[in-house]
Amino acid sequence: MHTNGRTLGLGAVLIAMCYAGASQNNGAAYLLCFVLTSLVIVSLAHAWANLHGLTISAGTITPVFAGEDLLVPVTVADGKGRAHFAVNLTAPGGGPTGPITVSPLSPAPGEVRVPTKKRGYFQTVSLEITSEYPLGFLTATQRQSLAQGYYVYPAPRGAAPLPRTLAPTRQPRAGTRHAGDDFGGVRMWLPGESQRHIDWKAAARNDVLLTKQWTGEVDDILRFDWSALAALEPEDRLSQLSKWIVVAERGFETYELRLPGKIIPAARGDKHFHECLRALAKFEQPATDSRA
Amino acid sequence: MNSFRQSSSLSNVATVPLAGMILALVLATIPIAEKVAGWVLFIFAVACIARLALQRPGTRLPPLPVKIILFAACVGGVAMTYGSALGIEPGFSILVVLVSLKLIETNDPRDFHVLALLGFFLVLCDLFFSQDLIRWLYIVFILLLALTMVVLFYRDPVLASTPQSARLALTLLLQSLPLAVLLFLAFPRFYGGFRFQFSQALINTSGMSDELSPGSLSSQVLNDAVAFRVDFPDGNMPRVPEMFWRGGVLWHSEGLRWTPGEALLRERRPGKLTGASILQRISLQPHGAFWLFALDRPFGDVNDAIYLPGTVLRSKRAITKSFHYQVVSRPENHELALPADQRKAALQIPSNVPPRVRTLVDSWKARHPEPLQIVESARRFFGSGHFVYTLQPGTYADGGNGLEDFLFERQKGFCEHYAAAFATLMRVAGIPSRIVIGYRGGEFNSVGKFFVVRQQNAHAWCEVWLKDSGWLRIDPTDLIAADGSTSSLASYLETQAARNGPDTHQSLTFKGWRELQHDLQMVWDNVNYQWDLRVLNFDEEAQHNFLFVLGLSSMSWAGIFIWVLIAAAVFVAVLSLWLRRPRAKAGRIERNYARFCDMLARAGLPRERWEGPQHFAARATQHFPEQANVIEHVATLYIELRYGAGTPSPRPFFEAVRRLPRLTRKSNG
Repeated sequence: MHTNGRTLGLGAVLIAMCYAGASQNNGAAYLLCFVLTSLVIVSLAHAWANLHGLTISAGTITPVFAGEDLLVPVTVADGKGRAHFAVNLTAPGGGPTGPITVSPLSPAPGEVRVPTKKRGYFQTVSLEITSEYPLGFLTATQRQSLAQGYYVYPAPRGAAPLPRTLAPTRQPRAGTRHAGDDFGGVRMWLPGESQRHIDWKAAARNDVLLTKQWTGEVDDILRFDWSALAALEPEDRLSQLSKWIVVAERGFETYELRLPGKIIPAARGDKHFHECLRALAKFEQPATDSRA
Repeated sequence: MNSFRQSSSLSNVATVPLAGMILALVLATIPIAEKVAGWVLFIFAVACIARLALQRPGTRLPPLPVKIILFAACVGGVAMTYGSALGIEPGFSILVVLVSLKLIETNDPRDFHVLALLGFFLVLCDLFFSQDLIRWLYIVFILLLALTMVVLFYRDPVLASTPQSARLALTLLLQSLPLAVLLFLAFPRFYGGFRFQFSQALINTSGMSDELSPGSLSSQVLNDAVAFRVDFPDGNMPRVPEMFWRGGVLWHSEGLRWTPGEALLRERRPGKLTGASILQRISLQPHGAFWLFALDRPFGDVNDAIYLPGTVLRSKRAITKSFHYQVVSRPENHELALPADQRKAALQIPSNVPPRVRTLVDSWKARHPEPLQIVESARRFFGSGHFVYTLQPGTYADGGNGLEDFLFERQKGFCEHYAAAFATLMRVAGIPSRIVIGYRGGEFNSVGKFFVVRQQNAHAWCEVWLKDSGWLRIDPTDLIAADGSTSSLASYLETQAARNGPDTHQSLTFKGWRELQHDLQMVWDNVNYQWDLRVLNFDEEAQHNFLFVLGLSSMSWAGIFIWVLIAAAVFVAVLSLWLRRPRAKAGRIERNYARFCDMLARAGLPRERWEGPQHFAARATQHFPEQANVIEHVATLYIELRYGAGTPSPRPFFEAVRRLPRLTRKSNG
C-alpha cells in the first residue's frame, strides 16, 4: 500500500471537515469526515482484492544495451474467476503500463518498460503491480518477479580505433582476393555491395546476382581483444568491445572476440553479433587480472 | 506521478463519468446557491455546459495563462461583489469559481479526482447551515453519485457498467459504516477555543420575530417546520391545551404592535415559584436568535442561558445549530412582588389612546373598580360573540387608530390581535400587563414518545398583574374560539378544513390512507428526532457518558486510539479475506465457456493460459476443421456476450454449448 497525490488532497479535505465539526460542534460534519475516512480504508481492501488472483507471465525479452529500456511483453491473467480493473504494472524506476483490465478467461496483454543500468544476465524481472481501483485515494501494491531471463549488453561506448588485423580464419569472405586465397563459394549479392566481385559468369546463367567469396591463409578481420584494452577500467573495456562489435556488424565486417577464457572465432551476422554481446554481458572478470 | 500524467494525458476523461461528476457538483452546489453571487452561479452553469460541449475528440482545452487570468478576474469580481475576498460568502463564491475552472480544464485522471475532492468540499459546505436528516441523506446521495463516477472512471471503457459501479459504490459505503460509527464514537470531541464561527446574519432565521405586530404570527400558519421537540423524562406533563411554551415577554405597547422594550433586558433571576415541577428535555431547532422555550414558567438553570425579567430564558449565544437543554418549569406560580421597574414598564401606554377606548375602559372601571372585576369585564367584552377569529383579518393601522378600528369596527383578528388589544386595554385601565410570545400545544409522537412543536403552533397571550395572585395568564384567544381547545393554529386549520372540505364523504380507503400517512409522518419525525439527539448532538458530554456506560471513562485517549487502530486493522483484514473468497458461482456464461474449453481439452486441445477466446477459437477451427462451424458459432456468441456493446440474451450461447457434438479429428496429421 502506498499513498499518492490524491491521498494528500483527500487528507486536506478530511482535516477541513474535522475542523468544521469541531469548531461548530457539527455532528453531521464529523460523520461525513468519518464516513469518507472509512470509505478510503475500505477501498484499500477492495484494491487488494483487485490484485488478488492475478498471474503474470512474461514473453521473450529482446535484449538491449545498458541504459536503454527493456520492453517486457507480459500477459496478465486471472486465476480466481473475477474481473480486475485498472491494474498497473511498473518496473522499479519505470513508468506504469497504463490501466490493464483483466476479465476471467480473457487474459490481457501488456508491455512493461524496464529501465536498465548495468549489463549482465538477469534471471527474473521484478515488477510492482498496483491498483488504484476502486476509489483511487490509496494505491494497493504487490511485488512479483517473473521467471524470465534476459540479457543487458554493455553500453557501446569508447573512442579506440578499430583494431584491424590480418589473420587466417578459413572463413569465406567477399572482397579483394589476396595472394594465396582460394575460391570460397558464392553468396547472394546484396544491394549496395561493390559490383566488382559479382560472379558475372554465374549471372549469365541465372537470374540472380552472386558475389564470389574467398578463403585464405590471411583474412582482413577485426580482432577485438580484451587484453588489448588494458589501459581502461574493466567495464569501459567491455563497453569499448561492445562499441566495436556494433560498428563492425554495421559495416559487414568479420570480427572475432577474445575474452579471458573465451574466444568467439571470427564471423559476422546476427547470430554472431548476439553471441559476442551475450559473452560480454555475462563476462566475469577472472580473479587474477593481468593488466600488462 | 509525472510519468503517470504523461501516459494518460492522451486519453480524455470519458463522457459518462464526467457528466455524472458534473451532476454531482451541481447537486452539491444547490443548497449553498443562495449564498453564492449570482454571476458566479452563471459562470458555473456556463462551465458545466462548456465542458460537456468540449467533450468532442480533438477539441483543445484552454491553456494555463488563460485559466490563471480567468481565476484572478473571478476572485477580483467576488471581492468587488462582497467588498472583500475573505469571509464565508466570498469563500463559497470562490469555491464555486474554482469548481468551474477545474471543470473546464479537467483532462486527466488527476483532474477528475480533484473534481471529486471539490465535490466533497461542497458537500461539507452544504452541512454548514442545515444538518437535519434530509440534508444528510441528500449529501449521501451526492457522495454515492461521485463515488460511482470515480469507480466508473477506473473501469475499462468497454466493460464499464454504471449500475455495477453504483452497486460497488453502495457496497463500499455500507462496508465503511461500521468503521465510520466507531470513529464517530471514539474520536475525541472538544469544544470551544475556535475563532471560526458563522455570523448570525448567515443563518436562516425562522419562526419567532422579536416583536408582535398584526400578521407576525398568522404568517406562520402554514409553516409546519419543527420549532422544537420535547419529551418529559419524568412522565409528568400537562394536557396539550395547557402547554404554553414561553419564549419571550414584550413590555412596550404601541396599540396592536408590541416590542420587547429597552429597559428590561438585564439578567434577572425568576422570583419565588411554587407548584409541581415538570422536567422537560427540549431539542431546539436552530432559529438564529436567542430564544429558548420552556413550559410556562421555567425556573431551573440552563447551560449558557440567563433569565430576563418576565421569567424568560435567553441563550447567551445565537442558536445557530440544534440545541439541547433540560429545564424545569412550575405551572402554578405566583410572584407576589412586582419590582418598581417592571411595574413602570408594565403600565406604559401608547401615546395616543383613542377616546373611544378610554370611554370603554372607564365604563368598566365605573361598574367595578376592583382590578379583578375589570379583567372580568374585559373578558366578557371579548367573549360577547362580536369578535371573529380569522386568518385573514386584513391590515390595521399602527398605533391607537388601528386598535380602535379593531375593537369597534371590524372586530376580526388573530391571536396576536387579541393578545395585544387585551393587554393594551388592561394598561389603560391601570392594570400592569405584558405580552408573552411562544408556542401553544404540540403534537404527540406515539412512536418516539415525544411532542413536536411546529412553527404553526406559534402563539401570543397576555399576563396581567393582580395584587393577590401575581402575574396571571389570560389567553384572550380562548374567549373568541367557540370552545377552549381550538386555540392553536393547527387545530384552527383543521376545523376550517373540516368545515369546508368534503370530509364526511370520504371513503374508508382514503381515511386509511390518511392514517397511514399520519403514522409514517410520526415514524419519520421520530427518526429525525433520534438523529438530532444522537448524531448531531453527540458532543463532549455525550461522548463522556457513552464511554462511561462502556466502562471506558478511565481510559486515556492514547489507549482508545490504539484500540480503534486495532479494531480498524482487524476489520480491514477480515474484509480483505472475505473479498478474496473464491467466487463459488462464476457467472453462468463463464461456466458454459469453461465447459466448452473442457471439451476441447479432452479432445486434445487445451486452452493456453494466455489465449483469449478469439485466438483459441481460431486454433481450434484449424485443429478440428470438421467442427469449425460449431466452434466458431460458440466463440462468436461468447465474444458477443462478453464484449458486445449491447446486452444480448445468453440463451443461444447456452444452447450452442449444450449442443456441441463430440469433437473428433478425422484427418490425421
